[in-house]
Amino acid sequence: MSETILAYGEFFEDKISPASLEILTPLWEISRSLQKKLLLLILSDDLKRVKEDNSLKRALCDEILVIEHQELKEFRDDLYSRVLSFVAREFHPYGFFFPATLQGLALAPRIAAELGVGLCAHVNALELEGERLIMMRPTFGDNIIAKLYSETYPIMATLALGAFSTKEGSENPIIKKFNLPQDFDWSSKMKVRAKRKTKKEINRLSVAKVVVAGGLGLKSKENFLKLFELAKYLEGEVGATRPVCYAGWTEEDRMIGISGVSVKPKLYLGFGISGAIQHTVGMENSEFIIAINTDEGAPLVKMAHVAIIADAEKILNYILKKLKS
Amino acid sequence: MEKIIVCIKGVPKPETVKVDPERHILIRESAELILNPPDKAALEMAMRLKDRHGVKVTVLSMGPPNVLPILKEAFGLGADELILLSDRAFAGADTLATSRVIAQAIRTLAPYSLVLMGLKSIDGETAQVPPETASLLNLPSVINVLNIIYREGKFLVIRETNYGEEELEIEPPLVVSMSPKLDYFRPPSLKRLLMAKNLDYRTLGAVDLSLPEEILGLRGSPTKVAGVFEKVLVQRGELWKGEPEELAERFLELLRVRGFLKI
Repeated sequence: MSETILAYGEFFEDKISPASLEILTPLWEISRSLQKKLLLLILSDDLKRVKEDNSLKRALCDEILVIEHQELKEFRDDLYSRVLSFVAREFHPYGFFFPATLQGLALAPRIAAELGVGLCAHVNALELEGERLIMMRPTFGDNIIAKLYSETYPIMATLALGAFSTKEGSENPIIKKFNLPQDFDWSSKMKVRAKRKTKKEINRLSVAKVVVAGGLGLKSKENFLKLFELAKYLEGEVGATRPVCYAGWTEEDRMIGISGVSVKPKLYLGFGISGAIQHTVGMENSEFIIAINTDEGAPLVKMAHVAIIADAEKILNYILKKLKS
Repeated sequence: MEKIIVCIKGVPKPETVKVDPERHILIRESAELILNPPDKAALEMAMRLKDRHGVKVTVLSMGPPNVLPILKEAFGLGADELILLSDRAFAGADTLATSRVIAQAIRTLAPYSLVLMGLKSIDGETAQVPPETASLLNLPSVINVLNIIYREGKFLVIRETNYGEEELEIEPPLVVSMSPKLDYFRPPSLKRLLMAKNLDYRTLGAVDLSLPEEILGLRGSPTKVAGVFEKVLVQRGELWKGEPEELAERFLELLRVRGFLKI
């Protein structure tokens, strides 16, 4: 087996995605323990712009490998995955990891199936048990974490967004161009005809200083929407649990947790949230946690710095009334 | 346009799920199965294309025979053909072993123009099966799609990315996973639901699909569970109890003292 670990560096409009830098933190530790080289793999139509991206200057990896070709200007799933599968076959890496961004979620499964290897989703911790790499993610049941491993190589996983903090390296990684063979098939069945940038700022929730989150304990969509009023007073963002999103009280991009956003605010308020692990893995690093819940035994109540044992709806109504008066 | 294939999944209704306390896996028999909510968008998209282009829609689902009512629900929405992929050899499959079965079933249904699935299932939440299936079929895939338009032999596909929206033009056939965000979902037709009661459907197993057992189910799954552990929590902070109004007052005071509230 080769001496490398690959990480996918999502490069969009001249910028590396912060999520790609985050996943380097746990991979760096694993690569040091196993004495393997950590390579960040970037696909772009212009090597120069990769070199100009300042956030890559201190990326925590041994080398940045850039595949440069004019056909890589737009993200096209079939072509990108063909390129990455080719690189994986060349390097025979020990592992190949992706951030769980939409690009990562689109690419990793295509490559895993192409290589015929296992793929774990939304992993939020990595650990070596002897030679075996254990990938962890919450699973069914209260506060239960599953330890997964893969029997095939490269070990592949998408790593949960926000689960790891970006760390800078002590040296600038070498940026190298990696050339594909002359006869490489650069064709794609996909053509990007138009792009519209989102009006919303991306990932505002993940960088918010204050997060006001609500769960089913708020009893209704109407009550949940009141969190936006409170968030305004606190200059914060509104977050939600998975059941709240599935109930249609708010959009899924407000979901905090394993398959949503991870938050690390200075203040986290949880209204009517019991604290299923699928949610708490996305907020457990908050600096100060206040839980409002009727159930004294709820996991979020235990995690909280201050737990207010009361009906979340009533407390929310009282504080909004007082703030308005 | 050739036919559209929609892949749907029966998932345990969230409140009815029981978990095996020792093995920490879902006791699927204990749960009431519902149509995976994100799959509704795949079915609705298929029906809109059927309305416009009169194309045939085949719906398939992999699971135990108790997913049959969910397939019949799809018939109620307008599906023309139902296929159940069911075999004991499929049990315990991870996403790769699942995709092998679905891809093989799709191969037997050629020619087709489009394969539709939901973005992810609400039980596994991996979102991996649509691109894995596409890759096994050597087809392009697009995830998190908001709309599909068929024009002059090609598909226009709108996808939501982390940066905005993109409009793609793709030659069929292709595999798409739909974002759950559709503006409207039609209700099933009562007449069709009644028809569905005595409806014929096909069941395909490993032998029908000529799939060797060693690449299926738990045995054919490269990802394995090494174990599970419980995160034990101990109370770390203060517990406040009392009258809600008083608690609300204390709460506001705390927010002010900590500098989060300026008024």
